[in-house]
Amino acid sequence: MASVRDRNASAWLLPAGPGGNHALRNDMRHFEDDDEVDIVIIGCGAGGSTLLQRLARAGWRAVALDAGPFWDPEKDWVSDEAGSHHLYWTEPRVISGKDPVPLGSNNSGRGVGGSMVHYAGYTPRFHPSDFQTLSQDGVGADWPLAYHELKPFYEDIEGELPVAGERWPWGDPHSYPHRPHPVSGNGELFLRGALATGITAKVGPVAISNGRFGNRPHCIYRGFCLQGCKVNAKASPLITHIPDAMDHGAEVRPDSMVTRVAVDDATGRATGVHYFRHGQERFQRASMVAVAGYSIETPRLLLNSVSKHFPDGLCNNFDQVGRYLMVQGAPQTAGRFESEVRMWKAPPPEVSSEQFYETDPTKPYKRGFSIQTVSPLPITWAEHVTAQGHWGAGLRKYMSDYVHWACLGALCEFLPLAGNRVTLSGEKDRRGMPVANFSYSQCENDGQLMTAAQSAMEKILHAAGADEVITIQRYAHLVGGARMASGERSGVVDADCRSFAVPNLLITDGSVLPTQGSANPALTIMALTARAAEKLIARTPQRSR
Amino acid sequence: MTALPLQPASGGGRFPGFSTASQARHWDEATAAVVIARLGLPQDLRYFTPVEEAAARALFDQLLDQREDPRVPIVNMVDARLAEDQTDGWHYDGMKPDGESWRASLSALDEDAFSRHGVSFCQVHWDAQTAILTNIQDAAQWHEFSGAHIWSLWTRYACTAFYSHPAAWDEIGFAGPAYPRGYKNLGLDSREPFEVADVRPQQDPLRPQFAPGAEEED
Repeated sequence: MASVRDRNASAWLLPAGPGGNHALRNDMRHFEDDDEVDIVIIGCGAGGSTLLQRLARAGWRAVALDAGPFWDPEKDWVSDEAGSHHLYWTEPRVISGKDPVPLGSNNSGRGVGGSMVHYAGYTPRFHPSDFQTLSQDGVGADWPLAYHELKPFYEDIEGELPVAGERWPWGDPHSYPHRPHPVSGNGELFLRGALATGITAKVGPVAISNGRFGNRPHCIYRGFCLQGCKVNAKASPLITHIPDAMDHGAEVRPDSMVTRVAVDDATGRATGVHYFRHGQERFQRASMVAVAGYSIETPRLLLNSVSKHFPDGLCNNFDQVGRYLMVQGAPQTAGRFESEVRMWKAPPPEVSSEQFYETDPTKPYKRGFSIQTVSPLPITWAEHVTAQGHWGAGLRKYMSDYVHWACLGALCEFLPLAGNRVTLSGEKDRRGMPVANFSYSQCENDGQLMTAAQSAMEKILHAAGADEVITIQRYAHLVGGARMASGERSGVVDADCRSFAVPNLLITDGSVLPTQGSANPALTIMALTARAAEKLIARTPQRSR
Repeated sequence: MTALPLQPASGGGRFPGFSTASQARHWDEATAAVVIARLGLPQDLRYFTPVEEAAARALFDQLLDQREDPRVPIVNMVDARLAEDQTDGWHYDGMKPDGESWRASLSALDEDAFSRHGVSFCQVHWDAQTAILTNIQDAAQWHEFSGAHIWSLWTRYACTAFYSHPAAWDEIGFAGPAYPRGYKNLGLDSREPFEVADVRPQQDPLRPQFAPGAEEED
C-alpha cells in the first residue's frame, strides 16, 4: 500500500470513518478569476478529478469547476431511491432518433465525483481487442493507442480505488489489489446458474474496499450503492482523488456552470472559460483548458463555443464534435425463485462474466456482451414490472413478489455510428444556453447483441432454478462524442487527449473513447486521463508554484 | 399509517406485521428526515388546477389500484415534483417538458371521458376509466402523444411516488434504509432479525393459477 499512498494519499486524508475532511475543504486554496491559472478543468468526475489530482501533485496551479455541488455525503446523501434525485443531471435535455435513450438517473452525474458517485462500482478493464475492432473485426474503430500503453495506468488506478475481485481470466488476465467480496442471494444464483451451464463467472471487479483502505472503512453490505456510498467504501473521485488534489493546492469550485470556452481570435489558443456562479457570469483565465463534462455536456459546450475560427463550434472544423456517441445495450433479465433472494442486500455489483465479450466467429454478429448482477430497488423494479405492461392491480400483485426475484444485466457493445450524436436544440436552459439534443438509432448488429444477451441471461437464470423470467430493454453508460483518432478528419483529440484544433485544449473524459467494449467505462476514463496527465506533465516545462 | 388495503388474492398481507419505519431509529439523520416526512401530512397542491387534480387523482387510483383510504398521496407527491420542476432531466423530441405534458395529458383524459360518457374522467365509473386507460396503453398515437411515451411518463411518476412510501415497502417486504447499521445476513432465504418471511411464497404472479382474474386459496 505504501506505493499507492506515495502517489495518491486521498484515503489517508479522509477521516477515520464516514464523512469528508472538512478541514481540507475549509483550507482549500482559492484562485481569482484574473489569475491566469496553469489549467482550468471543466467537470469533476472520473476524468476531471483524476487530471486535477495528477497535475496538482506535479505543482500545477489548477482549478476544477463543476456545475453541481461539492457533496458532504453525511448530510447530502440518503439511503433512498426517490430522495437521491439530486445526484443526477436533471437540467433539460431532448432525446430523439429511432431508439431514443433516456438520460437522467441511469447515465448522468452531477457535482464533485460525477456519475461515479452513483455508479454501481463495476470497474473492469477493456480487453486488448477493444483497441483494434476495425482491423480485427471490421467494425467500430481503431484507437490511436494500444492496450499495453494503457496497462500501467489501469494498474495504478486499480490500486487507488481500490478494486476487489477474483483473479480475472479474460482479456489481459490480471489480479486485483483486494480480495473478492462475499456475495448475496443474487450473486449466489448467478454463480449457481453459470456453473450449471458451463459459463465462467467471477466475483468482481468492483471498486469497493474489502477491508480498511487508508482511513476508509470496509463495506457494510447495505445496498444503496446507486444512491451514493455514505460509508466511503465505494470509490468515487470525491474520496479517491479530490482530497489529495486539495492537499496539493488544487481548487475545486462547485456550482459553476461553464457555458463557453474562450479562444483568442489572433492566436487560436484557449484563454479561459466563461461560467455562471451564483447567478453571475464570470470568466476564469487559464493558460490551458481541459474539458471533462462527459459525452453530452462536453459536445454541448464545444458546440456552444463559437468564435471567428470556429463558427460551427470549438474543434468542430471537420464536423466531428458530438458524433460517434455510444450507449451500451443493457437488457436486464430477472428470474423468479421459490427462495427469498432479497436482492437489495449487498452491493448490486457482485458477480460478472466476460465469456461472451469477444467476437465469436460462429455467430452472425460482431463483438459481444458481458453479464453482471444488478439489483434494482423498488422504484427501479417497478419499471421492470410496468415494462411488462402491468399496471393497477396487476402491478401491485407483481410487486408483492419482489423478495423472490434475482436480476442480471448485460452490457452489449453497441457500435460507434456517425449519426448518433449531440447537437444543439432550439430549447434553452435557464441561463439561455441551448440544451443538448441526443439522437440515437441502433444498427442491426446492436439488435442482434441484445437478443443474444437476453437468451444467455435467461439460460443462466433457468439453470439456477428460476421458473419464470422477464426482461426489460434498456441502455447503460455513455461514451464517445469527441473521440480520439489518428487525425483531425476522423476525431477530435489525439491519443494524449490533446485536441487537434486548439493547441492548449484537452478533453479528458468518456467522450474521447472511440469504442466501448462490454465494460463499464469508469476505470478506462480514469486510466486514459492518468496517462494524458503523465504525458502533459512530461512535455510541459517546469511551472512556478 | 396502517397497512395499505390490498386483498390477499392481490398480493396483500404477505409480510404480516412487517414495518420498515419501525427501524427508523437505526437510520442516519439525513435519510430518516427524507423518509419519515412521507408519513406526515402531504404537501398542499401548488401545480395542478382543481380540474387537473381531479383527473390526476382518478388516474393515480387506477394506475396503482388505490380504491380506498388509506392511500399513498400520489397526487400531492407528483404535484410537488412538478411545482419544483424536478424532472428526470430529459423529454422526448416532439413532446413538451414534463409539466406541460402532464397538463395536456390530463386534459386529454377528460376529453376522452366527455366524448364517450359526457362527464369528466373522475366522474366516469371505475371500469370505464380502466377501459379508457387500456386503450391509451395500446395506442400508437393518443391525442398529441405517442401512447408509449405518455404511458411511460405517467407510470414513472406514479411508481416513483408510490414505491418511495414506507407503506408500499411493507407490502413488498423491502427492508429499506440500512445505514449506518448495514445488513449482516446475506444469501438465499437469509433475513435480518426484523425482516418478516413471505407467508405465501407460492404466490408467483406468473403462474397460471394466479393469473389476473383467477381465484386463489389464501
